[in-house]
Amino acid sequence: MILYDYVLSASCYKVRLMAALVGERLDLQAVDFHPGREHKSASFRDLNPAGTLPVLVDGDLLLTESTAMLVYLATKAGGWMGSGAVNAAQVQGWLAFSARLGASLGMARLHDMLHYPVDIAAVRRAGVDCLRELESHLTEARFAGRIFLVGDGPTIADIACFPNVALAPDGGVALDDYPSIRLWMRAIRSLERFIEMPGIHRLHELKPAPEAV
Amino acid sequence: MGTEWVAVGLSRDLPAGVAMPALWQGRELAVWRSASGKLSAWNDRCPHRGMRLSHGFVRGETLACIYHGWVYGTSGSCIHIPAHPDLVPPATIKAETFLCVEAGGVIWVGAAGATDTPPEFAGYVPLRSVATQADAAALAQASGLEQAAQGLLGSTAAGGVCLILSTSQTKTTIHALAAKEADRVALSRWLDGVVRRAEERVLA
Repeated sequence: MILYDYVLSASCYKVRLMAALVGERLDLQAVDFHPGREHKSASFRDLNPAGTLPVLVDGDLLLTESTAMLVYLATKAGGWMGSGAVNAAQVQGWLAFSARLGASLGMARLHDMLHYPVDIAAVRRAGVDCLRELESHLTEARFAGRIFLVGDGPTIADIACFPNVALAPDGGVALDDYPSIRLWMRAIRSLERFIEMPGIHRLHELKPAPEAV
Repeated sequence: MGTEWVAVGLSRDLPAGVAMPALWQGRELAVWRSASGKLSAWNDRCPHRGMRLSHGFVRGETLACIYHGWVYGTSGSCIHIPAHPDLVPPATIKAETFLCVEAGGVIWVGAAGATDTPPEFAGYVPLRSVATQADAAALAQASGLEQAAQGLLGSTAAGGVCLILSTSQTKTTIHALAAKEADRVALSRWLDGVVRRAEERVLA
């Protein structure tokens, strides 16, 4: 399974994280997204005419939407999709919400890190609206003794939403005011086989302090 | 009663082994709870390079800075520097500590030498903390609650509510408590509506 990948991309990280969590090995093909704009090159557009990352190739299957890749990895592995009509529908709702996160918090980050020309005040404001909705939902989940977005365990909904939320400070949007989001992110980072990306570190306290050498 | 104390968070949002940021009289604090449950509130700056200690991690009874791993005990004193494992850190390397207590599920920070105890709200349980750009007057108008010593108090269709307001230059943080018989989900959604209406008035 080949993932055309850029290490700083939140969407690429979703797929790397999902693959790690379900134990799927990815052959990572680094694409020079910045500054090379390799994803807009003629040869890359022969692979993905949309000129976007990530791209997942598994035999004859070619996927260009990260949420589709999450569905593929999760369904192959079993679990992670939400069971029953209600949970499955809620997972779809959060996958759509993750697109709003990308268009708000994600764009604010691309503005601050890679100088994307966007209305920075507008995308930050939209990002805060998203964080407030997420915080309210997770607060209600905690009232019911749950911590993840849908049902009792983690689903692809959590993995789809986590990266752009965790990276929000890169786009100038603080996470200080969202206690339920903080505890939700801790729960995700506590999952077995969780992996990091630049800007999202693991919970060091899950392992004993390293010995001095 | 209790006027020397400012609410900085709710106990339910700070389980053992977690650090979180808070504001107290315009100061940025790191509030954290050790594995054994001991609560601490410090200036949110590592004495080494100024990294926010609220980004740090808790192991046992210590908080370590995320940047270079300097380890601090609950007294605030640095007890270990990973890059100099054999060094006993000098006593001058110490996080600035604040008076911090819990009462009724609310975390309070008080001025040094505070002699009274934080206010208690009998019959109420912690609901949630929400930050807003709206000020206390706008929140009073949008909520329809009565002014009280620490904030706003009254009843809603979802049940009784008490909003403890902690204001800073940049925002108002609402620490909401619910009457014990109240519908917490309905009250939480009511509070979202109050914040939206109060902010629309401010931004209008």
